[in-house]
Amino acid sequence: MTDTQKKVLEMLAQNKITAEEAYRLLNAINSGEGTSQATPGAESRPVPKPKYLRVTVHPNPDSPEAGKYDRVNVRIPLSLIRAGMKLTSLIPPPVYDKVNVAMKEKGIDFDLRSIKPEDLEDIIEALGDMQIDVEGGSGERVRVFAE
Amino acid sequence: MKRPPLWMHVRVQNEKKDFGLWLPLFLLLPLALVVLIVLSPLILIALLVLWPSGWSEWALRVLGAAFPIFWSMRGLEVNVKDRQNVVYVSVV
Repeated sequence: MTDTQKKVLEMLAQNKITAEEAYRLLNAINSGEGTSQATPGAESRPVPKPKYLRVTVHPNPDSPEAGKYDRVNVRIPLSLIRAGMKLTSLIPPPVYDKVNVAMKEKGIDFDLRSIKPEDLEDIIEALGDMQIDVEGGSGERVRVFAE
Repeated sequence: MKRPPLWMHVRVQNEKKDFGLWLPLFLLLPLALVVLIVLSPLILIALLVLWPSGWSEWALRVLGAAFPIFWSMRGLEVNVKDRQNVVYVSVV
């Protein structure tokens, strides 16, 4: 078991991530290891820490309505996310409750107050192994990944 | 050491115009410092007056968070394209 796999399991044990997220992260880590095992001659290079979070929205080129959609490409420095987390201390408690209720209505049972700066570091570190790729029914494709 | 953002590049393109602007963010810091020094007596009085209501603490926290946010903006890039327009904002 590698350190990264241990870290994911620790995050799952501490309820920082859901079982589904842990499964996806472990899969991503395992597939990465599989690739490196396939080329035994290759030197194991340390994975660079991600610096940016990239969010892209592109129309699916195969969709007949591809021309209708906007293209969005946003690169957010992770340091900006870290700094922005400090602003969460400014959110008044009633707003936290409202956000938590709204998220629960959408099926996300999560308490915003439980996010701490040290958790964020773990999440950002784990982001390097994760990629979210969503294809909408109306022909748009959303990708979120760290680079 | 992390470097502060120096420039903000804003570009708007469409069929009629191609408009680009480089904003010197590095000039903002000395300017903000001068404004802060000039207004410091007023800010101090406002903080003391508002202290019982709790707003002073909130204002100080906002100031404390705003500075690191500005400092971390380097590398931010936003690019939005539709059929006619392209908007590009980049902080370098």
